[in-house]
Amino acid sequence: MTVRRGPRPTGDRLRRLLVMLPWLMERGEVPVAEMCHRFELSEQELVKDLELAAMCGLPPFVDEMVDVFIDEGVIFAGVPRLFTRPLALTAPEGFALLAAARVAMQLPGADADGALARALHKLAVALGDDAVVVETPQPPAAAAVADAAQRSARLHISYWSPAADRRTEREITPRRVFFEGGYWYVIADDQLSGEERTFRIDRIEHCRLTGVVDPRREVEVPHGDSWFADDELPAALLRVPAGGGWVAERYPTRSVQADGDGWLIEVTVASERWLRDLLLRLGSEAEVVRPAEWLGLGAAAASELLRRYERAGSDGS
Amino acid sequence: MADALERITNLVALLMETRAPLTQQQIVDELEGQYPTGDAAQRGAFERDKALLREIGVPLESEVLGGNDAGRTAYRIDRDRYELADLHLAPDEQAALQLAVAAARLADAQFGLLKLGGDRSSAPVVVANIPELPALPALREASAARAAVSFGYHGSPRRLHPYALLLRERFWYVIGHDVDRGEVRTYRVDRMEGELAVGEAGAFERPADFDPRATFPTDPKMLGDEPAARAEVLVDEPRAAAIERELGAAAVVRRLPDGAVVVEVPCTNLDAFRSWLFGLGEHAEVLGPAGVRSAVVEWLQAMAGAR
Repeated sequence: MTVRRGPRPTGDRLRRLLVMLPWLMERGEVPVAEMCHRFELSEQELVKDLELAAMCGLPPFVDEMVDVFIDEGVIFAGVPRLFTRPLALTAPEGFALLAAARVAMQLPGADADGALARALHKLAVALGDDAVVVETPQPPAAAAVADAAQRSARLHISYWSPAADRRTEREITPRRVFFEGGYWYVIADDQLSGEERTFRIDRIEHCRLTGVVDPRREVEVPHGDSWFADDELPAALLRVPAGGGWVAERYPTRSVQADGDGWLIEVTVASERWLRDLLLRLGSEAEVVRPAEWLGLGAAAASELLRRYERAGSDGS
Repeated sequence: MADALERITNLVALLMETRAPLTQQQIVDELEGQYPTGDAAQRGAFERDKALLREIGVPLESEVLGGNDAGRTAYRIDRDRYELADLHLAPDEQAALQLAVAAARLADAQFGLLKLGGDRSSAPVVVANIPELPALPALREASAARAAVSFGYHGSPRRLHPYALLLRERFWYVIGHDVDRGEVRTYRVDRMEGELAVGEAGAFERPADFDPRATFPTDPKMLGDEPAARAEVLVDEPRAAAIERELGAAAVVRRLPDGAVVVEVPCTNLDAFRSWLFGLGEHAEVLGPAGVRSAVVEWLQAMAGAR
């Protein structure tokens, strides 16, 4: 159950009440605990709002008053003919339901002709022809990794490690699979490091089952940038031209501010190699402001790469 | 004074039941003793109640009266618009939608599901975090209603017949017919500026064969107005297998004995091409055409010289 602090805004309470009343009427009687769980309220909050609602309606007609009483942990309800249906879906709710269903249709293992597809169709009819299209293209290993995560099955993988710039062979036990910012990731127990690690699934070059099944373990999937914006990782402050604003859209940042026509962006640095490749993409108009150890990183990377091009046409183009 | 929740619940009941729209004064009289006394306090409380009803999506209708009450505003709630239409979801459809909502983790979807009679599911093993933007619900409604929208983009006003919304990579796009430019255009929703204005429903028809996925290439290296162009790139063994998987075996022009491959890659958009190339670090080299190779060399020389 979620724990809130401070008074609940009246809008939140009303929004919930207008869904709770019709639901209660349909059920007739329901245990307090069940209703608390369903509507994410504490018992105190639920009882308070229901007691207030019990005084509502259109006096003096008794059949138009909300009738609720609570006895030994069970709620008994008769609701007038006014609140028989929940409030219609709002625009944000309609959008979010459609988007959720469309995303789920693309998850590894989704059944294109199954119950979800039928539910989605009914939703789309009710909300008007919509044309919301979601693309979450799956790398080849996604289905196998998702299946292993369902069963806690240990996999052997060949993984391109960008920080080390080499391929590693390792055994992992996938726990959760998630899509974020255009990529699929797996959170797994990594036998090589002995730690929980997050891998990008498109960097898994091969994978196969080892036959070992590990005990189940629950892990949380982070939301947003939090899993990447690790305080233990170093940061670098970059000055980029106006056209370099995409850095802030694409990568986790600690701060972004306008700087003349361009931007001052503090990025979280996953590895020195990642920063080096980023600087190559930004070109000569971008620079590292700090830390000092990386001031010359871009120029050094460019010089090194130039040497390759100066070995006149290594493949005889 | 009573809890505001009680007053507003009564207000909803009253406005749903009334045959004729009610003025503020009539409402205050009906809900005897529930609004504060004193003109300013009463007006303030009533305005807050109206704002709150609209915020949670109650279809509050208002009209300006004539006759004896000329100039006064009166209110009611249309019950047909207020009430949720039954979707008639079968139990397995309900369960599937419930899992979908748990997997996509959107707070508004959770609440919408409650309205539909669904419950919360425990977190599934596979989940997706997709970006949420305030303009998306209104854009979707406009698209469904075939209503024109207007907004600012790169500092200039745009008028669009929104055909569809597309989530690609990490961005939401709205795709439609740009009224002033007379052609299909694509806009990043997170880059829209200013207020989104929505016009009347039924303002346009969407072409029957319209497919948002086909309106612009998936590969940013192919974007742009320049003629389509391709480059040959040598990719060393450590990244060769991954690149072949990314581009498909058909992109491989040559295989070298040491495991490296030469691949053909779109480079219509040189910025996107360079970004892709440098993502491979020192494991890739452009072989041709000469113009593309020298553009990369000049880029590197400018950087090396800036030391």
